[in-house]
Amino acid sequence: MNLLQACTIIENARKDAVLVATMGAMFAFDGIKAAQPRISSVPLMGGAASLGLGLAIAEPLRKIIVVDGDASLLMQLGGLATVADRQPANFVHFVVRNGAQFTGVANLATPAESCVDYAGLAAAAGYRRTYRFEDETALAAHIDEVMSGGGPTFVELRVVTPPPIPGAPTKMEIPDMQFQRMGVEARALSTWLQEHARG
Amino acid sequence: MGERNFNIPASGYLEALRRNGVDHFVTVPDWVQLGLHDRVERGVEGLALVRCCNEDQAVCVSAGLRIAGKKPVTVVQNQGLYACINTIRAVGLDASLPIVFLVGQFGREFSNFGHEPSLSARNTVKLLEPVLNALGVKFWRLEDESDLGRIDEAFAYADRESRPAVLIVGAPTGWN
Repeated sequence: MNLLQACTIIENARKDAVLVATMGAMFAFDGIKAAQPRISSVPLMGGAASLGLGLAIAEPLRKIIVVDGDASLLMQLGGLATVADRQPANFVHFVVRNGAQFTGVANLATPAESCVDYAGLAAAAGYRRTYRFEDETALAAHIDEVMSGGGPTFVELRVVTPPPIPGAPTKMEIPDMQFQRMGVEARALSTWLQEHARG
Repeated sequence: MGERNFNIPASGYLEALRRNGVDHFVTVPDWVQLGLHDRVERGVEGLALVRCCNEDQAVCVSAGLRIAGKKPVTVVQNQGLYACINTIRAVGLDASLPIVFLVGQFGREFSNFGHEPSLSARNTVKLLEPVLNALGVKFWRLEDESDLGRIDEAFAYADRESRPAVLIVGAPTGWN
């Protein structure tokens, strides 16, 4: 499965759940025009799960979907225990596993790619349900079960790593929007949550 | 004239948090604020405790709560603030979320109580205010009970300006 396929399956099942995405998944969701309610942890590797946890605590009647990166999760592995301590039933945590950092540009190896077991780590930390999918057919077949069951739920998605294209992307300046979008989306999400209040 | 008491009672902090509408106590525990932690661990009506494994997580959890309309306080110590500077940059400064911190001055010499923290011999203590100044994060010192009104100032500032605000707990909180 590739990243776009994985994100499309998640987006099609999302309904009005809040999406918290980071890194490559954030851009994939942009590509399929994922709209509010959503927020991106950018530029902030490792922040997505805890940002989602805060939303999940504040909005217990609404599903919160985090789509994390593997290297991002590794930066905040303790965050699995922070989530598990609260046992948010409305929390679904996907991690996109491609084994690479700066994916599609340099594909630098992620630490422990040959041996780490993300779903195993989540289960050991105290997540209630864990899944692991390697192809889009299996993910599509189980996505409703993943989304509807009680959490915290963790889903490891094995996606193929696109080939690197060294050089070209670093010739473009990082746009201002990369540094502004979390704030823009935070304000938009805050307004959306007020307009769609539950409970 | 009595001796100045630097140990602000935990009950004073809780009353200030209550009147500012704080509903979540998001924390990586701090030695300086153990008296306050003890009270919160035993349960305070209307104040939910969220335990985090590190300060990056505490800042992000607080951000999520804020976005959804809650009013957290983020309780850490000086070492923890140093550890999460990039997250403060992203969430507090770039995204303009009003995260309010209580930061304990771990390691402060008792002889420094009531004096300039810059006179401390310990980097852990004396670097806190310069670091906050470098970040452009406004801070208030809590040195004795008469400073508790600064908690109201910090929350009002954070709400008004959509900026992070730091309350520096200068001495161990009282257990009363």
